[in-house]
Amino acid sequence: MKKLITSFIKFYQTWISPAFGPRCKYYPSCSKYATDAITEYGAKGLAMAAWRLFRCNPWSHGGVDYVLSKSSNQPIKSGAN
Amino acid sequence: MGSILNPLYFAVSWVIVTFHSLLGYLFGKDSHESIKWSLSIIGLVIVIRIILIPLFVKQIKSQRALTALQPHMKEIQKKHKDDRQKQSEEMMKLYKEHKTNPLASCFPIIAQAPIFFALFTVLNGIARNAPHGFLKGDLLISAQQAKFFGADLSSTFLSTNTNTQTKLVTIALIVFMSATTFTTQRQLMVKGMPKMDSSNNMMLQQQKIMLYVFPIIFAVSGVNFPVGVLIYWSTTNLWTFGQQFYVIKRNPTPGSPAYEELMKKRAVKNKDNGSLPEVTNEPGTTQIDPAVGQRQQPSKKKKKNKKNK
Repeated sequence: MKKLITSFIKFYQTWISPAFGPRCKYYPSCSKYATDAITEYGAKGLAMAAWRLFRCNPWSHGGVDYVLSKSSNQPIKSGAN
Repeated sequence: MGSILNPLYFAVSWVIVTFHSLLGYLFGKDSHESIKWSLSIIGLVIVIRIILIPLFVKQIKSQRALTALQPHMKEIQKKHKDDRQKQSEEMMKLYKEHKTNPLASCFPIIAQAPIFFALFTVLNGIARNAPHGFLKGDLLISAQQAKFFGADLSSTFLSTNTNTQTKLVTIALIVFMSATTFTTQRQLMVKGMPKMDSSNNMMLQQQKIMLYVFPIIFAVSGVNFPVGVLIYWSTTNLWTFGQQFYVIKRNPTPGSPAYEELMKKRAVKNKDNGSLPEVTNEPGTTQIDPAVGQRQQPSKKKKKNKKNK
């Protein structure tokens, strides 16, 4: 299930997102955040991703916002974008 | 799902029906139905895009505020030359610190999705003789007969009773949508964005793929959509292109080739006009107070230096 959802996100990142150009107010982008969150937290990660997407709106100032690792509580910084 | 979208059906159909009756004054009350209905869909696009303009202006303003941050940005790029992740991270921190963010977020796209879906349902309703919102009774019957270059507004490429005209119009609109997306994207890549260095090559590559893949996506989805939806889609694409064209010409992102072009033009103009201050050349900038952004800069810089030490 996790694999399925993250592969959808991967599809979005490769084929759909480039059409709109870079537009996310956060780093890492919402899609990367979602991938990390779902891989790390499963269903809860999905909710985290939704909340992140909600926070990324025209009135937000964005910023740096990593998913924290379950075990070490350190930001997950794997891969680019 | 249907009941959640019900208010949207009313809103979408109200805009269309209102445009249709307003256009009656122009084209005659009971004639030129096809043109009136087609223009009504275009009217819907105009209304939605006008509603979204404040968001767009907000984004442009933050892009403009970036001019003041340019030295910082260059510094970051230099400092983390080989670490793209660190570079992006620092960039985002900088935006946040200065409470300005040039990026648009997904909101403008997500906000349009339900409207798009509602229009899809309303137009499909015409084909299936199912009234939605204000589009009912005589209006529904009139809309059922409306054509766009000979193709029924509610017909799709794949529906069984489709005539050649619908197929041709669908293909033409798919080609048009692909072309506008391609040109918009290309314009942004070539002129609208800060010059690419090698670290951005991957993105460039990705965008190249996209340029060939998008027509396919349009084609696959386009054959399933009613002609009316394709009109909406084409118009909104055209609007995006026009909006971007205007911004790249008049208000380009600092650091982009278009920005340098504009600066050169202004330099020439200033020479010709004697000592006209730069800002007065640009009517769009009068509401923005550039001094505010600049005045903040020294204090922030100091703070930053302290941190670095």
